[in-house]
Amino acid sequence: MRNLLWLVGLPIVAIATPVSAQVTGTVDIDGSVADRCLFTTDNAVISVGELSLAGTGATAGKLDVSKLDGQTRTLVGWCNGTAATMEVEALPLLNTDFVGAAPTGFDTRIDYTATADANALSGNDTSLVAGKGSAIAVGLFSGDIDVTLSASSSPTNGLLVAGSYAGQVIVTLTPNISFGAP
Amino acid sequence: MIRVRLLLTAGLLMSTSPAWAQQGDADTAEVAVNGNVAPLCVLGSPSPAAVDLGQMVATSGTRIGRIAVLPNHVVNLPGSFCNFAGSAIDISVSALIASDASTLQPGFARAVNYTASIDNWSSTTTSATSAATKEGGSPTATATGDTQPLPKIADLAATLSNFTVPSDLLLVAGSYQGMVVITLGPAAGGGS
Repeated sequence: MRNLLWLVGLPIVAIATPVSAQVTGTVDIDGSVADRCLFTTDNAVISVGELSLAGTGATAGKLDVSKLDGQTRTLVGWCNGTAATMEVEALPLLNTDFVGAAPTGFDTRIDYTATADANALSGNDTSLVAGKGSAIAVGLFSGDIDVTLSASSSPTNGLLVAGSYAGQVIVTLTPNISFGAP
Repeated sequence: MIRVRLLLTAGLLMSTSPAWAQQGDADTAEVAVNGNVAPLCVLGSPSPAAVDLGQMVATSGTRIGRIAVLPNHVVNLPGSFCNFAGSAIDISVSALIASDASTLQPGFARAVNYTASIDNWSSTTTSATSAATKEGGSPTATATGDTQPLPKIADLAATLSNFTVPSDLLLVAGSYQGMVVITLGPAAGGGS
């Protein structure tokens, strides 16, 4: 009976010894990726040539809306955060050669609507109203941003003064801050 | 405890840079849109398209067989325009000449001169008066108006007046035909 008690007590001593000899150290590793948007193709040109209607009828010399409406160009870019937004600003085409106010019956300005499609979402702006259009939450995406023109018009539907006309569509991608939202 | 302190420090750094946190790296792209409008002048369709003076000579009285007093005739060209600065109007008038080409006898003429004028394009009236000979030679005269400094649209009105015969001779019988040509275009050294 005394021998049996000794055999049982030995394992208890053997377990207690290794626990007191081990220690653990850790190295934590972290980093971050900032919210960011980037255009990899950041410019395009829509050059339509003659803007006025030909012929000698009642519409001769007025805006040919078919020249601008439907024109599309593709920009390419990405945003890496879910809170990214897109804004579009359409600036009217203005006569760059004629100085002064347009005489009665004539126009020196052409307005239009610009629509940008990115990540299956659309943002737009009309040059009839100064400033950008509403910000659209496009989120995280990478790919094409298609810019399309529509609804072109001149202020009085008058005759266009001869000369060169230039306008611009500005598309802005803003990352905002996503805080790692899914 | 150390870990907690580090996390708090990081939080403070972010809060002191709100602009960076809100905006990140935004980017813009531009689509240039351009076109042009060619210089263009258009004359409205003339109304009437032809002017019939009818009987041009007196058929009784002391001036029988000589040019009668003919009323002015106005030809409208509505909606005429030039879409550029620096245009001018040209008028070319050709005297009415008799279709009878036989040898002209003494005391007779086969030409009727007249004046064509337009007063509502530039600041001054543009007018041209034909000066054909009695035989019908040199029937055409031209005039160029002043420069219109702005793009302009107007209902032009060409007035035909002052019908005369060289030396007030008798007119040979027959049909007479003349022509007025009105041209809108860039002024010499003016428009584009």
